[in-house]
Amino acid sequence: MGNIIKKEILEYISSPKFVFTFLLCTILILLSVYTGINSYRAELREYNSAVALNRKNLETQPSYQALAGIGTKINKPPQVLSTIVTGVQDAVGRQASVNIAYDPNLIDSKYNSNPMFAVFGELDLALIIKIVLSLFAILFTYDAIAGERERGTLKLALSNRVPRDKLILGKAVGGFISLMVPFIVPFVMGLIILVIYPDVTLLKDDWMRIGLIFILFLLYLSVFFSLGLFISTRTGSSSTSLFILLFIWVTFIFIIPKGAVIAAREFNPIPSVHEVTAQKDAFLQEIQGSGQGLARDWMKENPGDGTPEYQDRFRAFLEELQQSLTDKIDAQNSALEEEHQAKRRKQQNLAMNLSRLSPASTMIFGAMRLGKTGINEHERFVNSIKTYKPVFTKWANSKMMATLNLSGQGEQPKPDISDMPMHEFKPESLRDSFAKALPDFVIMIMMIIVFLTGSFVSFLRYDVR
Amino acid sequence: MLQAENLTKRYDDGVLALDSMSLEVKEGEIFCLLGANGAGKTTTINLFLNFIEPTEGRALINGIDVNKDPLDAKGYVSFVSENVMLYPNFTARQNLDYFAKLGGKSGLTKDDYYLCMSQVGLQEEAFESRLKNFSKGMRQKLGIAIAIIKDAPNILLDEPTSGLDPKAAAEFINTISTLREEGKSILMCTHDIFRAKEISDRVGIMKEGQLVMVRSSDEFTGENLEKIYLEYMREAVS
Repeated sequence: MGNIIKKEILEYISSPKFVFTFLLCTILILLSVYTGINSYRAELREYNSAVALNRKNLETQPSYQALAGIGTKINKPPQVLSTIVTGVQDAVGRQASVNIAYDPNLIDSKYNSNPMFAVFGELDLALIIKIVLSLFAILFTYDAIAGERERGTLKLALSNRVPRDKLILGKAVGGFISLMVPFIVPFVMGLIILVIYPDVTLLKDDWMRIGLIFILFLLYLSVFFSLGLFISTRTGSSSTSLFILLFIWVTFIFIIPKGAVIAAREFNPIPSVHEVTAQKDAFLQEIQGSGQGLARDWMKENPGDGTPEYQDRFRAFLEELQQSLTDKIDAQNSALEEEHQAKRRKQQNLAMNLSRLSPASTMIFGAMRLGKTGINEHERFVNSIKTYKPVFTKWANSKMMATLNLSGQGEQPKPDISDMPMHEFKPESLRDSFAKALPDFVIMIMMIIVFLTGSFVSFLRYDVR
Repeated sequence: MLQAENLTKRYDDGVLALDSMSLEVKEGEIFCLLGANGAGKTTTINLFLNFIEPTEGRALINGIDVNKDPLDAKGYVSFVSENVMLYPNFTARQNLDYFAKLGGKSGLTKDDYYLCMSQVGLQEEAFESRLKNFSKGMRQKLGIAIAIIKDAPNILLDEPTSGLDPKAAAEFINTISTLREEGKSILMCTHDIFRAKEISDRVGIMKEGQLVMVRSSDEFTGENLEKIYLEYMREAVS
């Protein structure tokens, strides 16, 4: 079998398609890593300056009231693995304002701040693997059997004492090794660039994630490789094999992922974000009106004499009222948000599960999960901000009430943010990410087993004439 | 030795490609099968190589039933096809090396390969040239080199001179004659009546899956083989 493997490798390596594939993969992979690094460094600079600016902004607010109204800005830290898998991070917001009134939402996505990025999209490694290398995997295998049949070499080979299973196994192993060269060599070169670049710090956790993403990429390419081999054993001519494979490729890469989203939207419709926001705004207005009414009622029931005792009582009432109104707003908003999120998650899960029929979706979901750049990590970040909001509100309210000056005389004290609770976000652990990405690994392994078994069974009965 | 005993092949669509064919090709003998397209010549070769299974009868290589023990039987046969394409990005030696190893010949040196290629009339400068630069005649020569290097006692040739110019065809026939002298049993399917007459020890004419006539070289020396062949073909048409 060594002879067959060696011949396969030699045949691929000496062919123009290998040289072309190798060159193109090297250019694309290195370019993707380079643009990924530059993009990450720019994001990192923006993040650091946004954090510093926010702190300065908070410190320079004239009063706690002003601070509570403007709120603090929470910035999403860029992920170092976005250099490999951009995920959804360019499309979703990077900054959220947390104040006492509104429900926080991430805004200012990269695409929003500069639509040119959206026009051309991000050229990340995952995209290159998904589209370009999967196509190369097909181009490597479409004539693996059918082409040998056309050349007459299959007849010649099988006129010898060579078992068919051994021949196809040798071809599969040799072909796969040949396909891996144009992927692995530039990938390693890309990692070296990643390591030597300043500002890019990869921790042990990141390296383990890169290792898992690499395995995921290998599995993905193996799916297309085994599919190519399978179709090649099912067809008599290489042109038919190529045509069928291109059809399947388009289905896997474009039709299934898009179709799954459309189908999920049809089967599971959800109210739009604008509808939810309108509901929130209506409730806010209602609650603000009732708050003003309650304040008026209190003042009617407690005619003011302007004494410090009265002021203290009024301040205590206002603090209690403010807190109760904020709690009601938060409770209502979070109920609306939870309901909307639950519906959206259901729709999202349906879309994701349907699209997992395509290895392209499976690979991207797994890679985004491991790269911490996926939808789930975004949602975790948004939830962490939502959890932080009442903490900030409570602190801001207490500070506002403590410094409320009803007489309107004298200056408001400058805010001191040294005891302000800070937002904290703990990214998903490697163990959790892997556990959640495991089904994607399993799906691809299953696909490989099915296609390879199909190839073996088909080839055992293949008409070599 | 190659033997066909009542060998029959009927395809799933009902077409009878080979009808109770019996023949024997002895050691040191060249047996040429003549016939029109679809007469069953290539089907016979395919049955000997176990590429298809017989409906009835059996094909034997050195006494081994091809259908029962195909891998063992294939150890005793070499095959040269009509249009030897091989691997265009490999050199002649690389092609030869690959198929020699598939044929069970390991440990051969570069000199062994060069000698074999010289034997079939390939020029020295072609040994390390890529096959994509080869003419059809050169590829056919390499095809016979692959058969020779396997050193099997039986050789199956399927239209080996088809498309070759007269000089290349003559060289090819010379090589086949040499192999006969070495004691190989050679079964050659061809359209080429003149080459068949020139080289074969026996000739069989096939028509609609049947072996309708077998003559030895002694028998057709004084006859016009072309005339006999055409008469059989005319009968087939009428």
